Amino acid sequence: MFHFVGLIFKNLRRNLLRTILTALGTMALVFVVTMVWSVLDFINSQTAEKSNDFKVLVTEKNKAPSRLPRAYRSSLQEGAARGPDDVKPVDYMTWAFYGGTLDPTKMSRENFLFLIACEPEKAPTMLDDLDQLGPADMARLNAGVAKMKKQANAVIIGPEQLKTMNKKVGERFTLNGLIFKDLNLEFEIVDTFPEAAQRYGQTSLMNLDYLLQGIDEYESKNKKKLANADDPIAFIMLKVKNKSDYERLSAQIANSPLYTSPAVRCESASSAVSTFLEGWKDIFWGMKFILIPAIVITLALVIAVAISIGVRERRQEIAVLKVLGFRPGHIMFLVLGEALLIGILAGVLSSAGSYLLFNKVLGGIALPIAWFQRFFIPQGAILLGFLIGAGTALAGSLIPAWSARSVRVADVFSKVT
Amino acid sequence: MSALPLLLSTGVTPLLAVVRRFDPARISEHPLLFGALGAMVLLILCLAFVGKVPLAYNLRNLMVRWTTTLLMLVAFFVVVLLLVGMLAFVNGLEALTNNSGQPGNVVVFSSGANDEGFSNLALTEVSNVERMEGIAADESGQRIVSKEVFVIVNREIPTPKGAPSRRQFVQLRGIEDPQLAGFVHGLKLKEGGQWFSEAGVEESAGGAEGQPQVVRQCVLGNGIAGELGKDRPGGQPLGVGELFEMADRSWKVVGILDSTGSTFDSEVWAKRQIVGEGFGKESSYSSFVIRAADVNQAATLAKSLKDSKEVALNAMTEQDYFQTLSETSRTLLYAVWIVVMFVALGGVFGVMNTMFAAISQRIKDIGVLRMLGYSRKDVLMSFLLESLVLSLLGGLLGCALGLLLDGLTAKSTVGGQGAAKTVVLQFVVSQEVLATGLLLSLLMGLIGGLLPALRAMRMKLLETLR
Repeated sequence: MFHFVGLIFKNLRRNLLRTILTALGTMALVFVVTMVWSVLDFINSQTAEKSNDFKVLVTEKNKAPSRLPRAYRSSLQEGAARGPDDVKPVDYMTWAFYGGTLDPTKMSRENFLFLIACEPEKAPTMLDDLDQLGPADMARLNAGVAKMKKQANAVIIGPEQLKTMNKKVGERFTLNGLIFKDLNLEFEIVDTFPEAAQRYGQTSLMNLDYLLQGIDEYESKNKKKLANADDPIAFIMLKVKNKSDYERLSAQIANSPLYTSPAVRCESASSAVSTFLEGWKDIFWGMKFILIPAIVITLALVIAVAISIGVRERRQEIAVLKVLGFRPGHIMFLVLGEALLIGILAGVLSSAGSYLLFNKVLGGIALPIAWFQRFFIPQGAILLGFLIGAGTALAGSLIPAWSARSVRVADVFSKVT
Repeated sequence: MSALPLLLSTGVTPLLAVVRRFDPARISEHPLLFGALGAMVLLILCLAFVGKVPLAYNLRNLMVRWTTTLLMLVAFFVVVLLLVGMLAFVNGLEALTNNSGQPGNVVVFSSGANDEGFSNLALTEVSNVERMEGIAADESGQRIVSKEVFVIVNREIPTPKGAPSRRQFVQLRGIEDPQLAGFVHGLKLKEGGQWFSEAGVEESAGGAEGQPQVVRQCVLGNGIAGELGKDRPGGQPLGVGELFEMADRSWKVVGILDSTGSTFDSEVWAKRQIVGEGFGKESSYSSFVIRAADVNQAATLAKSLKDSKEVALNAMTEQDYFQTLSETSRTLLYAVWIVVMFVALGGVFGVMNTMFAAISQRIKDIGVLRMLGYSRKDVLMSFLLESLVLSLLGGLLGCALGLLLDGLTAKSTVGGQGAAKTVVLQFVVSQEVLATGLLLSLLMGLIGGLLPALRAMRMKLLETLR
C-alpha cells in the first residue's frame, strides 16, 4: 500500500508544473463553490424549521411591511392566552423599527442608521445565535443590555455600522427620523456587539420604550399625529417549546377577538423568512442547480484533461509496469490515486483557505441579500472542499484510468523502434 | 411537432430577437469592450495570416488530440454559457429599472421618504401640488397628476388541503384615475381588457349559497398575471374575467397591461379607494406622479417641488427614482464578476495544462519547424493561434447556446433594504453580453496559451532534436 502511495507522489512530482496547474485550477473552482454553497447553506438554515425552541412571528395578516398597534403588544406577548389551559410562550421580543439620518441635508448611506427597537433584555435570548456566545462575550453583551435598560437613549451598534458612521462607543448623536418623519431622537452609544457575534456587525438596537415615549412626547408637544405612529410595532416574536405548542398558539391568536383591525398572522420564523426571500427564490435556484453543477463540471473537465494527458504520455511506462507484474487494477489505482490526491489536497486547501480568508480576514462575504449583509463560511465547507475535490477527481479520472488499465503491452512495444 | 422543428423554432425566436436588437451605433457606447474584442479578433487574423506556420498544422493537431480538444471546448463553452446567462439576468434586471421611468415624469413622496413604501402624503396635499407651475395639463385643462397608493400585500397562495401554507408578496397600486395613470406611466391595456370602473367593484357569481358576491376589479401587469396563475392547475396566466383570492377578498381581472419590460409588469392595479380602505391607507397617498409641461424641464420641476416652502415634499424625476432601485442589479453584477473571474481562472489553468502538454508532445515538431527555417516568433505565433482557435470555438459555442436564454423569465427583487419590489424579469442577451462572453473566452485562451507558447519559442534547437 505504502509502495503505491509512494509511487503516486513520485508521479505527481515528475511533472510538477502540470500538478501545480491542476491544483491551482481545482483551488480556484472549489473557492467559488465554497462561497456559493456558504450563502445557500446560511439561507437554508434560516428557512429550515426547527423542532425545538420554535420561534414564531406575529405580524399584520395581509400587508408588508407589517404594522401593528401598541394595544396588541401586551396580549400578544402572552400569546393571547386567556385560560389556564392556553399555551403561553416561553419568551418574547417586540420589534419596531426606527430609521433616520445623521444629517438631513446629506442623505447618504454613511449617514443613515436603522435601529431595531425592542425590549433590550430580550436580545440575548431571542436574537439568533447570540445564545451561542462564550461566557466573556455574553457577559459583555449583558452589561450593554443593562446599560440600555438603565438609560433610555442608550444604543448598542454593530462594529461595522459604527465604522460606517465614523462613531465610537461613548459618543452621542441625534437621528432625524425618516420612518417616523419629524421624530428626531438623541442617542448615546453604550457598547457594540462582541466580535464573535459576526452576524450583527451592522445591527443596531435601541430601547422600544424610548421610541414610544418619543412618539407620545412629539404628539403632545406638537398637538398633531405623527405619521405611522398609530401602529408603530412591526411584529412580536414569540418562543415556544415545540411545534405542537406553536400550532396551539397559532390557533389561540387566530381565534382571539382582540386582533381584527388589523388582522394578524402567526407563523414560524423560518416560514416568514422564506416568504421574505420569495423574490430571491429563482436566483437561489439558479445558484444551486445551474451555477454549482456548471462549476463542478468545469472542474471535472480540468482534472480530466490533466489526467488524460498524463496517461497518454506514460503509455510506455504503464506497459513496463505491467511487464514488471503490476495488474490492471494496480494501474487504475495509481491513476485514480494521483487524481484523488490532487483533488482532495487542493479542495481542502481551498475551502480551508476561504474559511480563514472570509471569516478571519475579510469579515465575511459582503453580499447584501434582503436584510442579510454578510455571509460566513461554515466549518462544514472544509468537508465540502474534500468531497468536491474527491468527487470531481474521481469523475474526471475514471475514463483515463480505465484507458490506462487497458493499455496492452504488445501494442505499446510494437510501436517502439 | 417533432423534436427538430421544435428545437429550431425555440432556438430561432431568441436568435431573431437578438439580431433585431443589434444596433451598430451601440458599439461606440462601449469602446473598451468592443475595442478589446476587435483587438483579439485582429490578433487571431494576424497570427493566422502573418504567421508562417500553416494554420492547417494547428487544426490537424487539435484533431489528433481530439479528446483533450473536446474536453477543453466543453470547458470554454460552460464558462462562457455561465457568463452569458448571468449577465443576461443582470441585464434584464437593469432593463426593468431603465424602462420603468418615463421621461418628463416627476415622482413626489412625503418629505424624508425616498420610496413609496415609506411615503404618506395627506389627501389635501394634492391641491398644493397641482397649483405648482410647470405641470402639463390635458385637453380639459386638468393637471396631469396621477395620485397613487402603493401597498405590498402578503398573499396566501392557495394550496391543497394539508399542504404547508405558502405566501407571496404582491405589489398592489391604488389608482385614482386609471386612464390618466396609464397615460402617465406609458401603459396600455391588452386587447379585450378594460380599466376598472369608477366604483372599482362589481357583482359576480360564485358567492356563498349560489348568491352573487361583490368582487374587486383589478388590472394585472403581464408578469404578475403569469405569477398568480402559476399556482393553479395547469399554471396558465390569469386572463380577463378570471377571479383570484388576495387579502381575504375576491378580485376580478378586468384587464391585462401590455408588457413594457418595466416594474409595472409585476403590479396589480385597482381603484385607490378600494386599496386604501383594505390596507389602512384611506387617508393618504403614497405618491403623485406628475407629467412636466416641458419634458426637458422635469428635473427643474422636481427641484422646485422639493425646495418649495408651501409644501414639504420629496420629489425627483421618475427616471432618477428607478435608478435608485438598481442597487440589486449592481450587487448581482459584482457577484457575477467575482464568480466568473474565479471560474475563468480555473479554466485558464486547464488551458495551460493542455497547451503545455501539446508542446511537450511536439518538441520534435518544434525542432523540425526551426530546422525548416521557421523563426522562434513563428513558433510562438503558431502555438498561441492554436490556443486562441480553441477558445474562439468554445466561446462561439457558448454564445450560440446563450442566445436561447434570451426572453426567459425569472423572479427577482429590485431596490435596497426596506424598498424592495418583487419583479418578474426577462433575460436580455444583448450584443454587449455576447461580446463579453466571447472576449472572456478569448482572454482565457490568450492567457492560458501565452506561457506555453513562450516556452515553445525559447526552446533551443539542439534540445528539441535530442
